[in-house]
Amino acid sequence: MATRNAEAYAAANKTYEWGFSSDIEQEFAPKGLSEDTVRFISAKKGEPQWMLDWRLKAFALWQTMEAPDWSKLNVPPIDYQDAYYYAEPKAKPKLGSLDEVDPEILRVYEKLGIPIGEQKMLAGVVEDPLNEDGTPKRRVAVDAVFDSVSVATTFRKELEAAGVIFRSISEAIKEYPDLVRKWLGKVVPQRDNYFATLNSAVFSDGTFVYIPEGVRCPMELSTYFRINAENTGQFERTLIVADKGSYVSYLEGCTAPMRDENQLHAAVVELVVLDDAEIKYSTVQNWYPGDENGVGGIYNFVTKRALCQGKNSKVSWTQVETGSAITWKYPSCVLAGDGSVGEFYSVAVTNNRQQADTGTKMIHLGKNTRSTIVSKGISAGRSDNTYRGLVRVAPTAEGVRNFTQCDSLLLGDQCGAHTVPYIEVRNPSAQIEHEATTSKISEDQLFYAMSRGLDAEAAVALIVNGFAREVLQQLPMEFAVEAQKLLGISLEGSVG
Amino acid sequence: MLLDLPSTREESWRWGDPAAIAAAAGLPRGEALAGAWFLDLEGARAVFVDGVLDEGRSDLRHVAIAPLEGGEHVLGRRTTGNGWSLRVDANASAELIQIVHISTGGDNQLPAEIVLAGGAQASVVETYVGTGWSNRSTRITLGAGAKLTRAVRLLQASGFVSLRDEAEVGAGASLIVTVLGAGDAGTRIDGAITVSGDDAFAEYGGALLTRNAQKQECALSVRHAALNGQSKQIWRAVAADTSTASLAARVEVARDAQKTDGVQSLRGLLLKRTATVNLKPELEIFADDVKCAHGATVGELDQRALFYMQSRGIPHAKAQALLTRAFVGDAFAQIADETVRDAFVADADAWLEAALSAPLPLAGGAGGGASS
Repeated sequence: MATRNAEAYAAANKTYEWGFSSDIEQEFAPKGLSEDTVRFISAKKGEPQWMLDWRLKAFALWQTMEAPDWSKLNVPPIDYQDAYYYAEPKAKPKLGSLDEVDPEILRVYEKLGIPIGEQKMLAGVVEDPLNEDGTPKRRVAVDAVFDSVSVATTFRKELEAAGVIFRSISEAIKEYPDLVRKWLGKVVPQRDNYFATLNSAVFSDGTFVYIPEGVRCPMELSTYFRINAENTGQFERTLIVADKGSYVSYLEGCTAPMRDENQLHAAVVELVVLDDAEIKYSTVQNWYPGDENGVGGIYNFVTKRALCQGKNSKVSWTQVETGSAITWKYPSCVLAGDGSVGEFYSVAVTNNRQQADTGTKMIHLGKNTRSTIVSKGISAGRSDNTYRGLVRVAPTAEGVRNFTQCDSLLLGDQCGAHTVPYIEVRNPSAQIEHEATTSKISEDQLFYAMSRGLDAEAAVALIVNGFAREVLQQLPMEFAVEAQKLLGISLEGSVG
Repeated sequence: MLLDLPSTREESWRWGDPAAIAAAAGLPRGEALAGAWFLDLEGARAVFVDGVLDEGRSDLRHVAIAPLEGGEHVLGRRTTGNGWSLRVDANASAELIQIVHISTGGDNQLPAEIVLAGGAQASVVETYVGTGWSNRSTRITLGAGAKLTRAVRLLQASGFVSLRDEAEVGAGASLIVTVLGAGDAGTRIDGAITVSGDDAFAEYGGALLTRNAQKQECALSVRHAALNGQSKQIWRAVAADTSTASLAARVEVARDAQKTDGVQSLRGLLLKRTATVNLKPELEIFADDVKCAHGATVGELDQRALFYMQSRGIPHAKAQALLTRAFVGDAFAQIADETVRDAFVADADAWLEAALSAPLPLAGGAGGGASS
């Protein structure tokens, strides 16, 4: 444990570590938001008419809607006309080798921590799939969203052999229009909420994954999102469909460069799970949270929802939220199929002036559906951290089980921890349990850790990692390491 | 009828039923119920018919009728006008006060104030019967070390009862409020309790029993603004038929309210598959050295306990009734006066018998109910 913390602190840096910004020629849509912007984006992407119509319908709806105000967030008014809605790196000629890849892009990948092997794969360099001792290498397929356009997709061939479709959503719209059309907006309809509707109108790019019947995806799929250009809202759209009996683990990691102006991010993630299928969706979010006075930072207004349509289907959301100035995010599960399972594991850390209002919704519609919610909120500095959750049991849902645990940890006396759980039960056979605790870091534990030679910050990081352990152990290994480091880094300067 | 009430789109009225309030206010006025609803206890008595004092049936003693403010709240401000006032001097102990509200239809508003100076003690029992919309505001101020217990029985046969309570609990003072909703009217209990002095105690709880298409709701917040405060919110909801029982209870702990100990226990029991229980145990915490625990559960009766009782020869319906009574009983434990507590248990039993169509064995010779 001591080594791990040493590592965390070696990585620690007072200023935002990922606060770099690369200059790559951008092609912008004109500033502002109008029907023309929507048409521009659609035309730029060469989308079919139905897609444009879909976007325009969403835009018309959005104009009639108002931003939600029910959350415990203090959101400054956003000028939607003062932002660019589309930016893509200028088209480059097709590349023959890694050396020809724009060195700027390579550098970004490096800072993002994409392994060199995968950087090669991005450029099409074939690598030996075995380690020196003959065992297969652990593989992760990366679909990097660099600003708004997917630059490249790795491992495509191998995935294709398994029948897995892993594309940027723009490509998928062209290549698999029927599939996309069938599922897009099924889980999060165009009129769902203010930010989702905005996303439906102007989504720039994102990821589409389809796992065919009976296929266990041969590798973990991963997308790195980056917000790069100043004043560019980024609106990803992710759609994952797991057909009967399939399985996929999807990782989403986020970094963004340091900017003084607030940047808007309104993503939509839709998951569809059919009979006996499972999706494991893991997120580590460490966007720029603003400085200690709350200047700058990303606004993260995300709609994530899974539809467990099939019998015995399963969705597991795991999230580690350490970044963003404002987080508004409720990954949810609609448990429609009988025997389906929803899980939500979350660690949310807020420091300085950060605000997070996050949680989940578990909508139980099918019989014998089960859900587990484990939420760990850690507040430090002058931040506010809210868990907001809903567990709803429909009259038809027999034999529902839910267990909810929300724990809050307060570091310092200037921060706030809030818990707003809604429980709505309309079937007597349901068993719903909710537990919550709020506490400060134990003096005894701190004293003990420090008596064993840790300094105050290392001791806090150790205790916080222990507090969040139940969630961290749900993460795939690559993410777990990064997440542990992040917890330590995010809480720097909060004690002592 | 246009009442200018918040809509259910508003977060604090999410489970509210403004339409039922409007409907209740539109009920025609009728004859006042004749029966006396007082418990067999010594002390002051007041009967209000449609919000107006019935002097013939009242014995006010130290209770005064005075013009009062209803406060800023959307329900409370409607009540501004003549109401009842209880003021107790320092270290004095007031006799028990019983108040019966008889509503005959339409809407009626009545404000109340209870002001206890340092070290004073008082005890109030309120009963609501009749029909129509009864809207009440009660503003409570407790000085240092004052003690108030208040028990409210909501037994209106139809219409709607809304209570708006605002309380300031001073240093070392103690406030205990227990509410039982066992009538057939819609209910909204809307409370804002502030623990403003150090070492104070506030308990606000009770039971909501709903049947038919009834909706009863509690929207309560307890705010801790001082050191070493303690609060308890213990609520039980039992929903039968197509009814809805909703409990939204919040504990707020202000920045400086260190060493606060807040307890919330919200439990719901569904008797029929068409019934609904909504719970929202909310915490809003700004101080780091506090202990706030909340528990919330919803479900049906424990099948193992039912099975055990049946295996010992107790018929199913009776076993169900006994277990349900035990479930509700938790919420009355804080009522110190035995007569009052027995009355609450008897009201709840009567409700359970009707809802479960099973007779209950009498609770330890409890009378209660409608003795005069």
